Amino acid sequence: MTTSQTPALKIVPRTDPVMEATNMIHDMPELIRRHVTDDQVCVLTFDRPDSAANIFDKAALMELSDHINYVMCNSDLKGVVLTSAKKSIFIAGADLTQLSKARTPEELRDMIELGQVVFNRLSTIGIPTVAAIHGACVGGGYEVCLACDYRLASPDKATKIGLPETQLGIVPAWGGSTRLPRLIGLSKALDIILGGKTLAAKPALKCGMIDEIVPREYLVEKACQLILWRGTKLRVRPTRLAHTIMKLGPVMNFITKKVQRQLQQKTRGHYPAIPKALEVVTQGLTKSLEASLLLERDAILELGTTEACKNLIRIFFLQERAKKLSGFAADTTTETKVSPVKRITVVGAGIMGGGIAQWASSRDIPVILRDINHDAIAKGLAGIAKIYEQAVKRHALTKVEARAGMDRVSPSAVDVPLHSADVIIEAAVEKMDLKKQLFARLDELAGPNTILASNTSALSISEIATATKHPERVIGIHFFNPVHRMQLVEVVVGRQTSPEVVRRAVKFVQQIGKLPVVVRDAPGFLVNRILMPYLIEAGHLFENGARVEDIDESMLEFGMPMGPLRLIDEVGVDVSNHVAADLASKFSDRMHCPEVLSKMIADQLLGKKSGKGFYLHSKKGKEPVVNMRIDKYHSGTSCAKLTRDELRTRMVLLMINESARCLEGGIVDEAADVDFGMIMGTGFAPFLGGPLRFADNVGLSLVVAEMKRLADEEPRFTPCNLLQTLAGTGQTFYKS
Amino acid sequence: MNAPRLVIIEGVRTPFSKMGSDLARLGPEELGRIAVSALLTKTGLNPALIDEVIFGCVGQPADAANVARVIALRAGIPEHVPAFTVHRNCASGCEAVTQAYEKMLAGRGEIFVVGGTESMSQVPLLYTHQAAAKFARLARAKSIGQKLGAMLSFRPSDFKPRIGLQLGLTDPVCGLNMGDTAEILAREHGVTREKQDAFALESHARAIAAREKLEEEICPIYPPYTKAVMTNDNGPRKEQSIEALTKLKPVFDRKNGTVTAGNSSQITDGAVALLVMSEMKAAELGMTPIGAMTGYAYAGCDPQRMGLGPVYAIAEAERRTGLTLDHADVVEINEAFAAQVIACLACLKSDEFAQKHLKREHHVGKVPKDVLNVNGGAIALGHPVGATGARLILTSLKELNRREGKRALISLCVGGGQGAAIWLERN
Repeated sequence: MTTSQTPALKIVPRTDPVMEATNMIHDMPELIRRHVTDDQVCVLTFDRPDSAANIFDKAALMELSDHINYVMCNSDLKGVVLTSAKKSIFIAGADLTQLSKARTPEELRDMIELGQVVFNRLSTIGIPTVAAIHGACVGGGYEVCLACDYRLASPDKATKIGLPETQLGIVPAWGGSTRLPRLIGLSKALDIILGGKTLAAKPALKCGMIDEIVPREYLVEKACQLILWRGTKLRVRPTRLAHTIMKLGPVMNFITKKVQRQLQQKTRGHYPAIPKALEVVTQGLTKSLEASLLLERDAILELGTTEACKNLIRIFFLQERAKKLSGFAADTTTETKVSPVKRITVVGAGIMGGGIAQWASSRDIPVILRDINHDAIAKGLAGIAKIYEQAVKRHALTKVEARAGMDRVSPSAVDVPLHSADVIIEAAVEKMDLKKQLFARLDELAGPNTILASNTSALSISEIATATKHPERVIGIHFFNPVHRMQLVEVVVGRQTSPEVVRRAVKFVQQIGKLPVVVRDAPGFLVNRILMPYLIEAGHLFENGARVEDIDESMLEFGMPMGPLRLIDEVGVDVSNHVAADLASKFSDRMHCPEVLSKMIADQLLGKKSGKGFYLHSKKGKEPVVNMRIDKYHSGTSCAKLTRDELRTRMVLLMINESARCLEGGIVDEAADVDFGMIMGTGFAPFLGGPLRFADNVGLSLVVAEMKRLADEEPRFTPCNLLQTLAGTGQTFYKS
Repeated sequence: MNAPRLVIIEGVRTPFSKMGSDLARLGPEELGRIAVSALLTKTGLNPALIDEVIFGCVGQPADAANVARVIALRAGIPEHVPAFTVHRNCASGCEAVTQAYEKMLAGRGEIFVVGGTESMSQVPLLYTHQAAAKFARLARAKSIGQKLGAMLSFRPSDFKPRIGLQLGLTDPVCGLNMGDTAEILAREHGVTREKQDAFALESHARAIAAREKLEEEICPIYPPYTKAVMTNDNGPRKEQSIEALTKLKPVFDRKNGTVTAGNSSQITDGAVALLVMSEMKAAELGMTPIGAMTGYAYAGCDPQRMGLGPVYAIAEAERRTGLTLDHADVVEINEAFAAQVIACLACLKSDEFAQKHLKREHHVGKVPKDVLNVNGGAIALGHPVGATGARLILTSLKELNRREGKRALISLCVGGGQGAAIWLERN
């Protein structure tokens, strides 16, 4: 059937006896719909019923395999198009639940091999294949596209293309590590795979991960046209000289060495998936496709059983859980529909207030930014503008988007009506009297349904609420600094906060793309409560003679993103001291703020903001170096001889203990909340799974024994009751 | 006479800023956006309730056509609310308000955001038609020869821009610059240089004295939009002396003229936004207005004597509303030029002028000094042409409330030979 005219491209579903039979055999809902156009193009539409996402589980792979059988049996077919019916997802990759639940290595191996075999069959199907991508196309979702001959993608925001596997502690093993370097060249492929990157359509086109950008509405039509017009030419890819050069031994060696060096600096060997991916990609490129796929398989089998991989996948699930959370897990009151927040007011234009205003405005929410003086507003607005400028520079936002965001921030230095705000977030000075005054006033200005939230990191929400006539609508919405980079938000529930307000606050946090953790009102809430004993201990160790390098390096080795003393510098020595002293006053049995901080403040060593603290900070993005003159603040020598291991043990044990106390005191309901909060809020070594997961893995009896040993001399190490009980009865924080 | 009134709920304006100074970087759309945003914040009005947005702008920006729509969308007013831009030269800001009034009377909407915006700093420079034709030829040229030929056709004079601002301030019908029309009035009505300079000095003194009052109607502009926080107008000069004014050379008639930069309005950037609605709607929303508009008139006159526009318009407004100058507790006559305001005052109280030009027996009335432009005028504050009309409404209503007076009259002369007059009253 050849005509010179433009082929008509009506896609008509055809009843198909073979297909029906297949379905009957499998007796399960169809995950992939098949249409054959009048022009004999087979369109496979991924459309998992009752789900917003398509994923590759065993069933989906089998179904795809059946469709491939069908295509191979029908010699009339001119080509195959893969597409998705979902609004914002093409295929979100492999089913991680199935992967992580694989009990035996054999189960995992079967799953990997099944994917490899099916995708291989697709790539050798004999007629042109085109992926028509709209929405998230990641991991296995992109690997199936790599097995196609040609890739089209929509330019929409939802379209994200990449291989994030290494972020989960694994490597792309359904052909991604093999086919991507062959498609776009070694160095670009390493960038994507080792970085676990996902790209928007435009950059994906630029680096060759897709071949064309086509509007969503025309994707399938265009894919069919390409098949009919270009036919088997689609299958041929010109060999690229640059790609060939990169495969040469010495060139490859050079690239590998360079990448290895960068990796070691960045990951300190904590993320074995990344060097493994490097190995698979580079070695695979010199081998046949089959041999390279074997390398992929072996690598994932090796990595998949590691604790690091399990922990990283757990965090992924915890993030997904936070996106769907509606309040305390235990809260089972009937869920009412929560309408999205339309406008908010932020009171206080400081770093936090400005940061919150910027973030909300970037998420399409108009913000009134209220402060009492012009200069504070000016500083706040300038700060917001700077964050937007940086986002434009990073290509995270277009200039128009950034300007629209700026436009949404409306400053006011005088009282204005606030009845139309759905949420008011107070981010003023951390003084109880002032906050009470403010809340009394906000209570009057706000509409009857407005949530009154405080961004306080230290003060009691329940007490603030007493200043209002409606304490049930007062809640803590605690962002972390810098707001535009920290995903975690603590939703702090006061004694009188109503469950409905909790649900609305959680929904709001999710609406603006942050991850909520719901905690009960107690000093320091969750994250600061656990972080502070650690920072205080670091100060204490330093005061008693331990070197800055040893303290910070020991924790970097542990996997923290930043040493504790460096963190104090970043936060500000004065701010850290304030928060620490405040918390110490409430837990005086075990926390004593080290004097070194006050001494440093008196000498204007305020950390990054004053240029000097434990480190010397130069203006222009250079790594800070340890302040050589900081030694004079040592006031004892009792800790001078401690090894890095001993230093680390002390700091980590205190974090574990405080984590257990949070659980014990009902600040959160589950161990997972603590671990999630610490990883997302402080960057606590993600591959260790959080302080409680880490304690479980080390063994609670060992933890308790070590703490008791230290507690003999220093009572702050006394393990809390929960730890002792669990250890005593051989239990763990997580029920396995 | 119980015509429905259009109530003014609240108004906000940006500081007025001399051309090329603090606000020069902001286009009319940005100035308008800031004013409307501040207005919505100040009033707490749900922007979805607005029926239409109407803005006056004289030098409409090439990169933001229908600037009212751009302002509305950027200020967060929902897409379903339509917007249009009006142009009646110096009365464009009035036109926006009277349009809303007419629409309300016609039953075409009840809640309007209106105002005016102008960036005289950003009025563009233009190429001549001759040069534009050559550019077009160059753009169409295909071969190298054609391109070279097109390039060679340019002459140095082609690159001399036509100054948009100058063109805008020149009447294309009578060919006179606005300043020239003021010189005519000075000559014909015997307004001496001394009288003009004294009037200008008074304008500055009053504006300086009223700084805090004026701040009430101003929304501050913050960095990054400005270098430093700007909370007030930068036109009024505290140290202004009669000596300094006397020293200035006439701008328009260099040899025999009397009109100087010092006794003319300043060329200025700024925007004003007003929330107006029907009285019923205001009651329904529980909003308390700062005043109401009860009537208005536009009137035409000789383009060469456009400065006398207020006289014609005030007389016409009297005919329509029955209100005479005696009824006004506050009067604003826009100070385009000191000579022009002084000439207006003279004509208003002249029977001869009334008989000759206004078809009436007796003069229109007198304006006492303590009622006219009491917080200074455009000579000190500046005259962002498209915005001024709306500012006069805002400033006079705020003053009327301070004085607890009953009525205010605002009036402007309009380039091209027109006058505008609007009667306002306090609730």
